[in-house]
Amino acid sequence: MKGAGRKAGRAGAQPVDSADAAAATVTAAAAAAAVGAAAAGPVPAGMSLACHGVTFSYEEGREAVPAVRDVGFELAAGGSLALLGASGAGKSTLLQLVRGLDEPEAGAVDLDGVEPGGEGYPALRREVGLVFQIPELQLFAPSAREDVAFGPRRLRWSEERVAEAVSAALELVGLPEDKFGDRHPYALSGGEQRRLALAGVLAMKPRLLLLDEPFVSLDPVTRRQLAEILGRLKDAGVTIILATHDVDLAWALCDEMLVLCDGVVAASGAWEHGAAATDLLVRNRLREPQLVELWRRLGRDLATAPRTAAEAAEALA
Amino acid sequence: MTAPLLDISGLHYRYPGARSDALADLDLTVDEAEFVAVVGANGSGKSTLARLLGGLERPAAARRAVACGHDLLSGEGRLAARRDVGVLFQNPENQLVAEHVEEDIAFGLENLGWPSADIRRRVDEMLARFDLEDLRRREPHLLSGGQKQRAALAGVLAIPRRAIVLDEPTAMLDPAGRADVLAAVVALRAEGLAVVYITQEMDEVMGADRVVALEGGSEAYSGEVDGLFADGALVRRLNLGLPVVAEVAQEMARRGRPLPTFPLTLDALLASLGERS
Amino acid sequence: MRPAIAQYYPGDSLMHRLDPRAKFVAVSALAVALFVRDSFVGLAVYAAAAALAYAISGVPVRWFWRAFKPLLWLVGLTFLAQVVFAPGIPFFSFWFIHLSWSGIELAAFLSLRLVVLVLAGSVLTLTTAPIALTDGLAWLGRPLRRIKVPTDELALMVTIALRFIPTLLVELDTIMRAQRARGADFRSGGLRERVRALVPVLIPLFVLSFRRADDLALAMEARCYRPGIVRTRLHPLRAGRADVLLLVVTAAVIAAGLLV
Repeated sequence: MKGAGRKAGRAGAQPVDSADAAAATVTAAAAAAAVGAAAAGPVPAGMSLACHGVTFSYEEGREAVPAVRDVGFELAAGGSLALLGASGAGKSTLLQLVRGLDEPEAGAVDLDGVEPGGEGYPALRREVGLVFQIPELQLFAPSAREDVAFGPRRLRWSEERVAEAVSAALELVGLPEDKFGDRHPYALSGGEQRRLALAGVLAMKPRLLLLDEPFVSLDPVTRRQLAEILGRLKDAGVTIILATHDVDLAWALCDEMLVLCDGVVAASGAWEHGAAATDLLVRNRLREPQLVELWRRLGRDLATAPRTAAEAAEALA
Repeated sequence: MTAPLLDISGLHYRYPGARSDALADLDLTVDEAEFVAVVGANGSGKSTLARLLGGLERPAAARRAVACGHDLLSGEGRLAARRDVGVLFQNPENQLVAEHVEEDIAFGLENLGWPSADIRRRVDEMLARFDLEDLRRREPHLLSGGQKQRAALAGVLAIPRRAIVLDEPTAMLDPAGRADVLAAVVALRAEGLAVVYITQEMDEVMGADRVVALEGGSEAYSGEVDGLFADGALVRRLNLGLPVVAEVAQEMARRGRPLPTFPLTLDALLASLGERS
Repeated sequence: MRPAIAQYYPGDSLMHRLDPRAKFVAVSALAVALFVRDSFVGLAVYAAAAALAYAISGVPVRWFWRAFKPLLWLVGLTFLAQVVFAPGIPFFSFWFIHLSWSGIELAAFLSLRLVVLVLAGSVLTLTTAPIALTDGLAWLGRPLRRIKVPTDELALMVTIALRFIPTLLVELDTIMRAQRARGADFRSGGLRERVRALVPVLIPLFVLSFRRADDLALAMEARCYRPGIVRTRLHPLRAGRADVLLLVVTAAVIAAGLLV
């Protein structure tokens, strides 16, 4: 009864490989973005970040549960950091502290070298964007355009500036305004909603972009699209912190890494590939990036380990 | 030869007001103790199929639609099918109804009017089988994603079933939760149930006896798992999630250096590369 | 985290083990008696009974206080209203305020009656698990089925609603934070502004809940649920001699309070 052979796929209205189509859109948009970067600049250059001894606890009933303790690290402007760690390690808490949704009990988050309380700090804080997990939860407006405009309007920009920001953001995420601007957010597919929510944050022109598990609950097509969008943002110089469980995507997108274990920094800085480093990842319910393991088992120099499948194929072909 | 547990031929379904069929002329048979993986991108009709197989939706048309001996084209047949065919859905949170895990597991049996003593016995059995004993009085919102999905699975299987359909059960879980649920699913094979496992991730179909690929509501492939992987163009067209090593193979094929076999694991890739050089 | 007034304190006392139906009937009867009888002595009898029941339950006193605190304003208001406006010969007058001893007496009585009422109700809610209570109410409400009131379905709805309250609270917090990250401000501005600020929070929560209802209904049907079926229970209600005793004792207390 186990069928052999395959039946031919049905002909008919078959969409062109949608991943390629989306990739093409994003590429074109990004190229336009790069050209316009000098002027209105849809994508601003990055902000530097420094955390010193950041500590924060939650109240649970009568107890204070420490969420992050004495977290310190630095990220230069335009840098890209993968924030790794098991569930409950404190990644979300840390990102929310950097964004300023909570104030640390101890320690500080310096933005572009400015300390909290320093001159211009509130303005800098407004240039930090945070994309929550399952960001589709934040969609509420009757049209995509209106929802994306929410953030910029809160920043009290002129209507012109808001319109430009909305348009640019929608282009960036592959949901061009002429096609998607009037659509109702809830009528969009899951992947489109995810990208729309991202646009809502990008419209605020963040120079430091924080993403909390942006790839979770995503279909493979949108995952690829999102990875490309983040890649373009990184290329354009935005500082990025990516909290994720997906070690392979973290390896592809981020130059540096930080492992958070029970609220404490267990490792940070450039990626390391020794047995100790791998051990640390495994202990935190993660693993070594597949491409690094591949290089290791092929006996090749780990310093040349490829970041993406394309790079690997280049080297192997 | 015994009749297949799930026997579908020429299945059609279209959502009200939709411009095209969600399922078009689909055939599917699954035997007792057979593990069939169904793969397809969003919009390929996977979830619709899950609901139809579970007797939760009325087919628009079919030459034959029988699940565990019940005719899915009739109302009573569908109601009866719900008893023999279990369905596990994607969102763990939205499947747990009761305030504690043990009560949720009991829900299905309470609906069937089982005597309390029998319910208690069966609940204990399920708690043990799915490693949930410590969580029996736990409230759902305090469970991790993987735990919730395991509890939901226990709740579905508390009713003795002959077949089970799992609709992307790991899609919303983190790697730890995914491993949790996959382990539980693997254990199902030993029970003799017919299993239909729906997913978009290629690395989850590895242990299947057979894989069916859906594209636009119709079958694009049905056969051995290896056969699907051998067809690089099809795999790309289906827009499935590939582990990095498979992407490497795809990229190599794009550069005119295809590998002899399509790898899903690092070992397979290394073997392929070894063969090549 | 549920509102304290519906909070359940798990335990194994006699009160906990009594059948929820018996407890409900007893508390309801006591509540009626409280309002019928209007003397301090009768009130004292009922207060003693309620306090004794509370003591037997083994629940710490501060839990009663948590349930009572939200009603403190009501008690205070009742007291003040009676003190100021009740008829009686005033011993002190200022503008429209007439203080009289009989007024103060009435105020004290009404306030204390409220306290005893909440005390008795607390014994019920603190010692009865929500699901047991809804089961009990569904059973008691069974006669309503004759006039097509879907008591069992309502009971299930209440159970499910309670189950999702903690989940919704977390989701509410998450959505608020996500919108705050986009610059939403829930604290500043007048009442009107603050209500408008809630729109980006309430709409997603509603949509989320509707989707959840859809998913849940499907999952329930997949587990053979249909409205109108007769469902058995994992933990069925079982009334025993202790429950009959409770009803008898309650009747005696009520009688005592009325006759004293």
